[in-house]
Amino acid sequence: MPTVKGDGMRGLAVFISDIRNCKSKEAEIKRINKELANIRSKFKGDKTLDGYQKKKYVCKLLFIFLLGHDIDFGHMEAVNLLSSNKYTEKQIGYLFISVLIGANNDLMKLVIQAIRNDLASRNPVHITLALQCVANIGSREMAEGLSVDIPKLLVSGDTIDSVKQSAALTLLRLLRSSPDIIPMGEWTSRIIHLLNDQHMGVVTAAASLIENLVKKNPEEYKGCVSLAVSRLSRIVTSSYTDLQDYTYYFVPAPWLSVKLLRLLQNYPPPEDPAVKTRLTECLETILNKAQEPPKSKKVQHSNAKNAVLFEAINLIIHMDSDPNLLVRACNQLGQFLQHRETNLRYLALESMCLLATSEFSHEAVKKHQETVITALKTERDVSVRQRAVDLLYAMCDRTNAEEIVGEMLEYLESADYSIREEMVLKVAILAEKYAVDYTWYVDVILNLIRIAGDYVSEEVWYRVIQIVINRDDVQGYAAKTVFEALQAPACHENMVKVGGYIMGEFGNLIAGDPRSSPLVQFQLLHSKYHLCSPATRGLLLSTYIKFINLFPEIKHTIQDVLKSDNNMRNSDVELQQRSIEYLQLSSIATADVLATVLEEMPPFPERESSILAKLKKKKPNSVPDGSEQKDQMPKLPTAQMSNSSDSAQPTSINLMSQGESSTDDFLDQGSPAASGAASASVDLLGLGTPTQTTAPPVGGGDGFLVDMFDTLTTSSPAPATNGMDLGGLTGGAEEAFKKFICKNNGVLFENDLLQIGVKSEYREDLGRVWVFYGNKTSFQLNAFCVDISTPGDLATSLSVQQKPVGGEVEAGAQVKQQFNMACVQEFTDAPILNIQFMYSGAQQKINLKLPVVLSKYITPAEMDSGNFFGRWKALSNPSQESQQIFKASAPIDIETTKSKLLGFNVSVLDNIDPNPENFVSAGVLHTRNQQVGILVRLEPNKQAQMYRLTVRASRDRVAKILCDLLQSQL
Amino acid sequence: MIGGLFIYNHKGEVLISRVYRDDIGRNAVDAFRVNVIHARQQVRSPVTNIARTSFFHIKRSNIWLAAVTKQNVNAAMVFEFLHKMTDVMAAYFGKVTEENIKNNFVLIYEILDEILDFGYPQNTDTGILKTFITQQGVKSQTKEETSQITSQVTGQIGWRREGIKYRRNELFLDVLESVNLLMSPQGQVLSAHVAGRIVMKSYLSGMPECKFGINDKVLMESKGGKSGQDEGRGGASSTKTSIAIDDCQFHQCVKLSKFETEHSISFIPPDGEFELMRYRTTKDISLPFRIIPLVREVGRQKMEVKIVVKSNFKPSLLAQKVEVRIPTPLNTSGVQVICMKGKAKYKASENAIVWKIKRMGGMKECQLSAEIELLNTNDKRKWTRPPISMNFEVPFAPSGFKVRYLKVFEPKLNYSDHDVIKWVRYIGRSGLYETRC
Repeated sequence: MPTVKGDGMRGLAVFISDIRNCKSKEAEIKRINKELANIRSKFKGDKTLDGYQKKKYVCKLLFIFLLGHDIDFGHMEAVNLLSSNKYTEKQIGYLFISVLIGANNDLMKLVIQAIRNDLASRNPVHITLALQCVANIGSREMAEGLSVDIPKLLVSGDTIDSVKQSAALTLLRLLRSSPDIIPMGEWTSRIIHLLNDQHMGVVTAAASLIENLVKKNPEEYKGCVSLAVSRLSRIVTSSYTDLQDYTYYFVPAPWLSVKLLRLLQNYPPPEDPAVKTRLTECLETILNKAQEPPKSKKVQHSNAKNAVLFEAINLIIHMDSDPNLLVRACNQLGQFLQHRETNLRYLALESMCLLATSEFSHEAVKKHQETVITALKTERDVSVRQRAVDLLYAMCDRTNAEEIVGEMLEYLESADYSIREEMVLKVAILAEKYAVDYTWYVDVILNLIRIAGDYVSEEVWYRVIQIVINRDDVQGYAAKTVFEALQAPACHENMVKVGGYIMGEFGNLIAGDPRSSPLVQFQLLHSKYHLCSPATRGLLLSTYIKFINLFPEIKHTIQDVLKSDNNMRNSDVELQQRSIEYLQLSSIATADVLATVLEEMPPFPERESSILAKLKKKKPNSVPDGSEQKDQMPKLPTAQMSNSSDSAQPTSINLMSQGESSTDDFLDQGSPAASGAASASVDLLGLGTPTQTTAPPVGGGDGFLVDMFDTLTTSSPAPATNGMDLGGLTGGAEEAFKKFICKNNGVLFENDLLQIGVKSEYREDLGRVWVFYGNKTSFQLNAFCVDISTPGDLATSLSVQQKPVGGEVEAGAQVKQQFNMACVQEFTDAPILNIQFMYSGAQQKINLKLPVVLSKYITPAEMDSGNFFGRWKALSNPSQESQQIFKASAPIDIETTKSKLLGFNVSVLDNIDPNPENFVSAGVLHTRNQQVGILVRLEPNKQAQMYRLTVRASRDRVAKILCDLLQSQL
Repeated sequence: MIGGLFIYNHKGEVLISRVYRDDIGRNAVDAFRVNVIHARQQVRSPVTNIARTSFFHIKRSNIWLAAVTKQNVNAAMVFEFLHKMTDVMAAYFGKVTEENIKNNFVLIYEILDEILDFGYPQNTDTGILKTFITQQGVKSQTKEETSQITSQVTGQIGWRREGIKYRRNELFLDVLESVNLLMSPQGQVLSAHVAGRIVMKSYLSGMPECKFGINDKVLMESKGGKSGQDEGRGGASSTKTSIAIDDCQFHQCVKLSKFETEHSISFIPPDGEFELMRYRTTKDISLPFRIIPLVREVGRQKMEVKIVVKSNFKPSLLAQKVEVRIPTPLNTSGVQVICMKGKAKYKASENAIVWKIKRMGGMKECQLSAEIELLNTNDKRKWTRPPISMNFEVPFAPSGFKVRYLKVFEPKLNYSDHDVIKWVRYIGRSGLYETRC
């Protein structure tokens, strides 16, 4: 390489020192103007500038440009320099061009021509300069112009190694900036064979290039696997003296090894047994080497060694096929857990987290539990502690859950604020997931609230209540524990909420003990009342009314509290209303009514834990999903989770306003006039929602209250919509349809693209259904069209009017469509909704059953015992009766069943059937032609978990249809 | 009010820092340096707001003066104060340079203590300040002198002390005007105004009362038929006798009540030099010079420029320091200039042709022609053709301003108006005097 020495440019040096000596900005600008004028006159005047002068002036221009001034001339001179044969001149020319000539300059054509000439030259220095310039600019035009020259250079036999190396890297640069341009097809095999090159530099450069190509088109480059493995094994087995120049602190070619290991991570484990054995050998050698004593004490040595090792472990985890290797990797990482280097400990924890999800190494990881716990407690760096928490979460299973949760709880007291919320969620999930004994679970959660109350989100305490309600065996224990916890002088508001709710429901279970007599319970709760937020106070007021029901002996004490100005005249409307209504309820209603209204809560339907959803939403990628389903983790489920959680936002469904408020904050339900109504019994916390005793009951309200914790997880797994054939229903449609038999409003369907909500209203034989299509994507849905079809004889029994819907649904927007459905005569099938639209060029089809069933046209009827049995007997014709005996789909619970019946639009009549367990209902079915009387008897058998359902109707077929429908709900 | 005052050199090093209020912290000094002085793109606005703190700055050569405040102050007042302060410093130690500031920092702090009190500007009159801030250090004063200073600073006539005696009672009056003009290439006046100052140097004994008469329309009309006295010299073609002053302001010694009621300017002058009055006129300005530009672009490589300068005043008068500045395009690669009179040169560092004429009589005409060679650039923007500007000095007032009389009365001492020697001088200078081409 020619030296620049002796060739220095004096004029440039003088100019630079002048600029440096300028005292003010103005002086600098003056000097630069002068110089620019000088250069202009030079470039203009005599055309006979020699190469040296051109180079000097171009250099000056470059310097002025770097000082921040605009340069608008001299480009031509720079391009001229490219054709010079002197290294320095060419170099300055290329330098100027890569700094100053933009990708879309007119001169680019000339530049590319000059580059092409240089690429064809015999002098490797010139070729390298040209390649460097291409790599610096990397414009599209260059990629187009040189798409053949550079690959040719790369694979040609007579280019020297250093040029090949540059060519590979330049090609990589072009591929990154304009991936579509370079046609690599014909070069594939020859490029792959670069991995076999003698020169390690070329191999290193080629490895980067190949990895990029592989990412784009893994199939085409499959051949590289065996080559990479053999190259890797040659490096790994070589002693450090073999690869003279490429040994870095006694580690043979660490960069190349890392690149090769990364490359292999793009493919599944090799199928060819020979290759596979060889790779396994390599990995074993790497693991063996890690055990050897270090050859040098220098940090560079251990860094290089560990880099290779970690990449090898990543590959082992990626392949996830060889238990032996996995366990060895795990043991190796275990050693690092106690290493002096913080970075190593961090990396070890992180890799272990991945290992814990593999079935082969899960057990091995568990061996290090002690160490990880120590790390959690003693580690100085918060990010390392965070990793330790992740690892503990990942390694937890039924055997060690109790211990891990205990440790995490203990640590939580001193944990950093930044990771507390996440830890709380994790503890809550682990406790729930691996709880053998639910008393333990209750203890854990209550501890959690005690220790880190501020970080316990709503979901966590919702969940504990859900579980306590659903498990009879822990209710007493929970009440006792909560009572004890509340006795602490200062306790967190969340604790008060849980306590208020649980004692309101199960306070009677501990009332026997004189230490927790009803009055004591009440006073304990009320002592916290004034320290709480309005929302909690509302909850406590509901608890009080429940106490009135449970313990009539303290009724007056509670009424006094409700009567106090503090409550009756509270500035908060909700509190005021609650206290007034509860007061009225307690003084007007009889004990029986109260007991019905304030009946114990029905069990919640079992669903996926909403806490898990929250954790996933918070950290979509960091939560291993438990060992059973580790492979599905990557993209789909997380996306789904975050999508489904969106549904709680008002944009997606506004039809649910009532239901929604009950889920967001279930204390906040719409507040109607008091005077205890039957339908309120399903209300979670006391009196909320509908109290109209007249028909039709607002079905939506109670349907949603049962559904209360459900918005975060919404509907069943989102089905794929592609490739569905026209006739069949989209997956999940049938289940969604069933949900709607007893309720009118809700989400009918949801996937990644679309959410479909339904709201309906019925008056006698007329029905009106609104369907809401919410676009969940950030793109417009085109050619959106909805068609409704009435299969079979439905066309004659149901008259359907459809309002058209627009062709486009904007991103994030919601479109509403109205259907009018009039019932002409009884029918069995439901109309089918065919939705078609274009999303990112692909046709999407969704077929759904619109939840319009015969029972929607029923209105409840009231009658007394004599009347009922009179009619019952009148309908004794076999065609008028339908009876079924079947097993209950859920544990039999009076309240749930009652709410189902009410949702079915028939009345629930008390004191008619001699057996109080049995339900007796009546209603009138309205069709256009006639009205049909409906009588229902439902006899539950709790021991056998069976139902006997009898439906009688004044018209043939109707009884059968309704019986089937109702059965599907029970 | 002003919270603090800082003086920086061109590098942004603090030379003087005086904080008057607690709401201005030390970090304000750095904030200004970092955000304004060191800002790569030059900050053009003289007022900068950084973190709810306002910085008002002016620049004198390489020195930055910045006033800082957190309150909503009258910006014009702050700038007036800053300019006054540079005047005061100049009066004490000449040019305001880094060297001078470093050598006189004790003095500057002393001045700052005097002219700003808790951020409120005080007396900035040089004459007064010089009586008690001396460059030599304070002499040991007698009791009377001290009490005199007190009565002076607090008294009714704070600007003049008693007992001044001169053997020769003299006064000098300078009418200094600067003409601003923007003219279209066709010779149409787009905007023009004159900003004038009357600077007086008085060496009078006792407590003389002066009366000053000018040819302002309002004053003339109120005096009735008194006009039509002397026309004297100067005033090129104007035969009019009075001018319309748009606005004016006076030194604090002028009795404004008398000006309001009697339309006369009467005052007891301070001793030494002071600025009696400032005014502005926009009508009937006699422009001393006119430029006729002729610019022709010959292809993309060449440009021909021809400039004619015409003087437009009495032939007996001589203009001095005439300088015409013709901007050249940014891609100029060579210039050839020919001119009959004066010297013309292409100054590459300023991107302009500078044409200097030492003296030029009235009603004359000079011509310059230049050939400019241009270099092809890949910059597609067209040259914007900035205006041709001009500098000059003429011995008359372009606004037509005239001093009609200046009478001195000193009832206590026995000298009369006739004994006072009076000198009046008119100087018209160019402000921003531009012609588009």
